[in-house]
Amino acid sequence: MVKKKRIRLIAEMARKIRAYRELKNRPRESEKYALDYDTMTRPHTRKTLPVLAWQDVRRESRLFSLLSGLRMFGVGHLFTRKSWLTEHPEAPSYWQVTKVKVDYTAEKMTKSPLCVLLFSTGKQESEPKEMDKVMYHDWRLVPKHEEEQFKLYNPVPEPPIRYVSYPPLLRAMLLAQRQKDELGSAAEEPTLPLKRDVLLSKEYFRSQEKKRERQEGTAV
Amino acid sequence: MAAYTLQRCLGAVKVIHKCGSHSFIARRSLLSTAYTDSKLWDAREKDHQNLALLAALMDRTYDRNFPVSSLSISRFVDNISSREEVDQAEYYLYKFRHSPNCWYLRDWTVHSWVRQCLRYGARDKALHTLKNKVQYGMFPDDFTFNIMIDSFIKDEDFKGACSVVEEVMLQESFDLPTTQILSLYALSNYLATKPELSMSEERALGASLLISGLKQDSSIGLSAQLLGCALLGKVEMAAGIHAVFRGMPLMWTPGYLGRALAVMERVAAAPGDGKLSKDAVDYLEGLLQDLSSASDSSSGEDDESGGEEGKKEEEVVVDEDDQAERDKLPLYASRFKDLSGQLQSRGKVDPSPLQVLVSSLVQQSLASAEGPDMEQYQRKVGEWEAERQQLIRREKEMRERAEEERRAHQAAKAAAKQG
Repeated sequence: MVKKKRIRLIAEMARKIRAYRELKNRPRESEKYALDYDTMTRPHTRKTLPVLAWQDVRRESRLFSLLSGLRMFGVGHLFTRKSWLTEHPEAPSYWQVTKVKVDYTAEKMTKSPLCVLLFSTGKQESEPKEMDKVMYHDWRLVPKHEEEQFKLYNPVPEPPIRYVSYPPLLRAMLLAQRQKDELGSAAEEPTLPLKRDVLLSKEYFRSQEKKRERQEGTAV
Repeated sequence: MAAYTLQRCLGAVKVIHKCGSHSFIARRSLLSTAYTDSKLWDAREKDHQNLALLAALMDRTYDRNFPVSSLSISRFVDNISSREEVDQAEYYLYKFRHSPNCWYLRDWTVHSWVRQCLRYGARDKALHTLKNKVQYGMFPDDFTFNIMIDSFIKDEDFKGACSVVEEVMLQESFDLPTTQILSLYALSNYLATKPELSMSEERALGASLLISGLKQDSSIGLSAQLLGCALLGKVEMAAGIHAVFRGMPLMWTPGYLGRALAVMERVAAAPGDGKLSKDAVDYLEGLLQDLSSASDSSSGEDDESGGEEGKKEEEVVVDEDDQAERDKLPLYASRFKDLSGQLQSRGKVDPSPLQVLVSSLVQQSLASAEGPDMEQYQRKVGEWEAERQQLIRREKEMRERAEEERRAHQAAKAAAKQG
């Protein structure tokens, strides 16, 4: 017979205390992303940045260094990224800041801007989201007197989506299924759209799971 | 004998010159006394507090890691009564900015801090906190900026006035016409003294001139835009476009000299009355000549001494865009010649120097622009007062509630002990 496992209470307590201490002492964003500009290493992990990034790091600035010099931490201003400027030269992509959360302990005032509206390649996101890649040395402030001109954009109308018939075996299976369901051949045969309708992201898969659960019902 | 008469003549000329300049830029401020007067500000309800007690309270709160309310820091700043206390207040402002409540630093606190600094002669202190606005959280509103610039102009410290204007530019708050006029005055007077400018100073001056000139549609505004673009173009040619827009609210598309020429073209083509000051046009001409000769000489040297290390370093730094800019230099020079010819022929070059233009603008429009400012200031002071009173009331209520709870708690404890 297996000997009954000894319940080690003190070890359990030590584990909890260690976890709590780790939570309390976790490095602030300002410490995690601090950078020594002379040697291009991070003091926190002592890792060096990749060489191709050195020029950008020296020349551009992070978002919070731009925000800290603005009134009310730059709420209402527009910010672009240099990588967006090169990626989509004709369509303006920018974030507009609506709320900022400040980390006051850091000497140079780190911020994590939250809840901003994104305009990406000329289209606007529906809800405010948290900005990511905030600590990248990539950001630029759009000056107020250039905002109007920056936002100008004539969207090129997208060509209509083309449809294509399914591969032959799948098509045969689909048609057989439809005949069994007695839809008849009067209805149009299903076609495959050449442009993906749905963005495969976390939210999409989660919603699909929920739909499946609803249909099947929970396991007994 | 001749030398003696010459000396006397020179002395006379000097005296006359001094008299002349005295009447022109005497020790007077641009804004009317009603504007800079602190009567309205002093007429607010006083909230006398002992500074030592407040300081002790704030220290205790910081030690216990509680947030300090914006009301206590505003009380501290309001009750400053000497120069040493200005320094103490600076320390507490720094601490407040690095506390969780930093977003709540009130506008009226900043305004009263500036007023107190000016009153106790700590203007350089105010300028220091303004320059390090990241660390002190100083974001004054337009009225406060106007008062600051005016006090610098009154003492003819144009360099200091230009530093303040630079801060205004970094915050992009050139909305009020009074601010624009004052900053243009400060900038033009500073430039008239022909100072030695380092690259960062040139960049700041150019950006301030450009942005303040954008709002004004008159000849002074257009000349300011031209001069600003020229200065920025000079920095761009010397150090690349990245050095220009880093940390400034400026556009990153290269070609500031091109923009200067576009301003000239617009003035030449516009049917209205806008003229360009001769100063600005001459400056651009001189600049283009300098740059062309510099680039010629450097390319000549390149041919002679092929692989020198110094030249190699420079070539590594120069970017593709910047190289394209420099190659456009002869194009700019030729276009400038055409445009200046056009401007001359259409009589759009104003021969008076920038300083005189600005002074005339000051005399014309400053008085009228001050009126709406004063009204808005009165309204703002009223709002600030209301907010302050509300904060005081809320603090009193919270204290009473805490007292009641404490009393109830003590009564409960006493009852439990007895029973």
